[in-house]
Amino acid sequence: MSRRSELLRYVGARLALAPLMLWLIATLVFLLLRVAPGDPIDALLGPRAPEAARAELRAQLGLNQPLLAQYGSFLGHLLRADLGTSLNNKQPVLEIIRDSLPASLELGLVALLLAAVVGLAVGFSGIARPEGKLDLAGRLYGIGTYALPPFWAAMVVQLVFAVWLGWLPVGGRFPATLLPPSGSGFYLVDSLRAGNLQQFSGTLRHLILPAATLGLLLSGIFTNALRLNLRRALGSDYVEAARSRGLSERRVVLRHALPNALLPVLTITGITVASLIGGALLIEVTYSWPGIAFRLQEAIAQRDYPLVQGIVVVVAALVVLVTVAVDLLVALLDPRIRF
Amino acid sequence: MPSFPLPLLARALPLSLLVLALLAPALGGCQPQRPSGSLIVASKSRIDSLDPATASRIGIMQVLSALGDPLYAIGANGRIEPRLATALPQLSPDGLRARIPLRQGVSFHDGTPFDAAAMVFSLERFLAIGTLGYQLGDRVKAVRATGPHEIELELKRPFSPLPRLLSAIFLTPVSPTAYRTHRDKPLADRFVGTGPYRLSFFSGHQQRLVPFAGYWGRRPANTGIDLVTLGNSTALFGALRSGEVDLLLSSGIEIDHQQALHRDAAAGRLRETVGPALEIGYLTLLSDKAPLHNPMLRRAIAHSLDRRTIGERVNRGLRPGLRQLVPPTLPGSDPHAWPPYRPAEARRLFRQAGYCNDRRFALPLTFRSDIPTDRLFALTWQAQLRRDLHDCVTLEVSGMESTTAYAQLDKGVFPMILLDWMGDYPDADNFLAPLIGCSRAEGSRCLEGGSALSGSFWSEPGLEADLQRSTVVAGAERERLLRSLQQRTAAASPYIPVWLVAPVAWARPHVSPPRFDGSGRVVLAELRGRPPAQGVQP
Repeated sequence: MSRRSELLRYVGARLALAPLMLWLIATLVFLLLRVAPGDPIDALLGPRAPEAARAELRAQLGLNQPLLAQYGSFLGHLLRADLGTSLNNKQPVLEIIRDSLPASLELGLVALLLAAVVGLAVGFSGIARPEGKLDLAGRLYGIGTYALPPFWAAMVVQLVFAVWLGWLPVGGRFPATLLPPSGSGFYLVDSLRAGNLQQFSGTLRHLILPAATLGLLLSGIFTNALRLNLRRALGSDYVEAARSRGLSERRVVLRHALPNALLPVLTITGITVASLIGGALLIEVTYSWPGIAFRLQEAIAQRDYPLVQGIVVVVAALVVLVTVAVDLLVALLDPRIRF
Repeated sequence: MPSFPLPLLARALPLSLLVLALLAPALGGCQPQRPSGSLIVASKSRIDSLDPATASRIGIMQVLSALGDPLYAIGANGRIEPRLATALPQLSPDGLRARIPLRQGVSFHDGTPFDAAAMVFSLERFLAIGTLGYQLGDRVKAVRATGPHEIELELKRPFSPLPRLLSAIFLTPVSPTAYRTHRDKPLADRFVGTGPYRLSFFSGHQQRLVPFAGYWGRRPANTGIDLVTLGNSTALFGALRSGEVDLLLSSGIEIDHQQALHRDAAAGRLRETVGPALEIGYLTLLSDKAPLHNPMLRRAIAHSLDRRTIGERVNRGLRPGLRQLVPPTLPGSDPHAWPPYRPAEARRLFRQAGYCNDRRFALPLTFRSDIPTDRLFALTWQAQLRRDLHDCVTLEVSGMESTTAYAQLDKGVFPMILLDWMGDYPDADNFLAPLIGCSRAEGSRCLEGGSALSGSFWSEPGLEADLQRSTVVAGAERERLLRSLQQRTAAASPYIPVWLVAPVAWARPHVSPPRFDGSGRVVLAELRGRPPAQGVQP
């Protein structure tokens, strides 16, 4: 079988298994929510509402149905791409996801870009003098940023740059004095498309602190991954062969060692993207960033079953798609990979 | 390994960081200018829906109070004032019918005139789909228009605090035109009422209110309000201090931050206003099971609580101690209903119950682990009991997430738990009925009703009848009855009031001092401000 057919078969199999995986995740979330202590009626009415009012609301929301009937209804709606309505405000779950997912993706993508640029630059800089001061600093940076507790780092950054220095906003996604741009929900893109520089600068100002914090925290992963893989690549036979052919050190590193060292980094990037699709909870909470993780946290606290189920299913579907895409990209770039 | 020249990227890194550092303050200069006279108000409450029918949280009540008008309002002095009504309800001799004359010349934000039909539409809609519909439905059998500007409420039984119930902002009328297609379903992202402001933009994290040109009352003193939500106390605190917001509401602000803001206010860097305290913190004691089925032990616990120490260590003096269930601003309050801190008396009662000396009573306390003040209370009280009564009692503390705890309250699983309560409208009945109400009891054990739902399961013969009677009689007689109900409850101590929580608002110096109404909400229409100097540090 040719490599191309192997690849197509692999991707086909992964995509064919995706519905099964989503069904398992949806079922697990459905059951876990029902097994977990807590009651959405308490979250809505408070614990002291009369029993009759509680029973009436329970019936209105369909929570008085047998578990199997609720499960059947949930799956039936899911098959029709209907994620139901929030118990809290009766808003369709898809609308809520459509509002909050772009916020998380925008933050995640900018943070990832920053993490990749800074992380790879730091990881690469030490290669000039292995075990030298710069290399040691890079190693410390990699370990340090990876080990920093996100909520602590976010709060310190927030205190210094927003509260003490007053350079940037404390939180939120957009200035209260302006109305957010309409469109895709990616404010940077929407404001640029509208040609509104005030909206763009407002969005950017709110994005800098959360994206920089998240980016710096993630950059250590890139630093460590590149350092290790680049050192391994520089010690390999094909690099020695390149040197023996008289190629310059710059060319050896940039053309021969670096591309090979970046392949594992690409896989790490894929995993990081997948993890960021679900939002970065602690960053979103600290900076009041109205993303999907923040919304999920609120929904869990309120036991808003349809919203929790909907967010988890959508995020899981996107994670599956991204991981398949990354696998495919790695396979296309690396001819050694077999399936 | 041969040396490799430092790549351009790595050499450029310090430069990039320098550029970023320079860019940040430069972007600070690009802050959008605020429209003159408009103000930004921040709180922790995310607003999921602006439909009064689904309103049940403090945050939405604050927004609705600016967008809508109730029939009656409670003034800062605690008195009932007609708003969309023109006079207090006229009751029929049997007290089962209440006629309410309505204000004329009022219109909704969409131009629809406000009249009896609109009020009936709104109340019937609330009865049909209101999350708190039971508050009205338990008392009102039917609503009808008896004239173009007069409605009649048919009551299930006489209910003397009716005007106070009708002061609830979730009963604010909505335009029958705008809600025609939402008669039986909520409308989350719009609100069309009669209030001083109309809604110009809505999202869960931001609502923009602009003055309603056709408002019947006094026009707002500002040119608009932007209400924003920030998700945590640090962000809210920082936003006010950095001048990013003009006014901060205290709900969700941690005690340490409140104390720092209080200090700023004392030093003249902020303006602080404290509203009427309508939230109580209290302990519920499981009274129908061992060990706390023994009233002597419950009394001993009531005597052992040092509210002054708790107030200093936990609340930094910002929440006064409380010895009653009804907040002091409401009629029927009895400030000394519960016994004061008397360790000697507590020891005597513990000893009488068979403890002290060689036998220590292991007292379990559950606190809500997601509320920092509750955790601090548990640890402080534990230390205080160790200091004062170490030979008699040991406090065993354990935490549980709020929603999980609420779901188990009526299962009788918590021997003692710290909770808080704020009625849906300011009246003593709204504090007593949910705690001591009992529709079915066996002796002193409550099987159904507020007491069972609250997790104490305590009642006593004749208590429910007196509680019911307290909603029929009025004036001094009602106040006497309410005090007597509290004293009887205090004698059995199935609850122990701990502290009182008052809403606080902090404003930047350029904003006029905020004022609270009697329902504990800032009157946004009275706020006045000039454009602030951005980023000024307090």
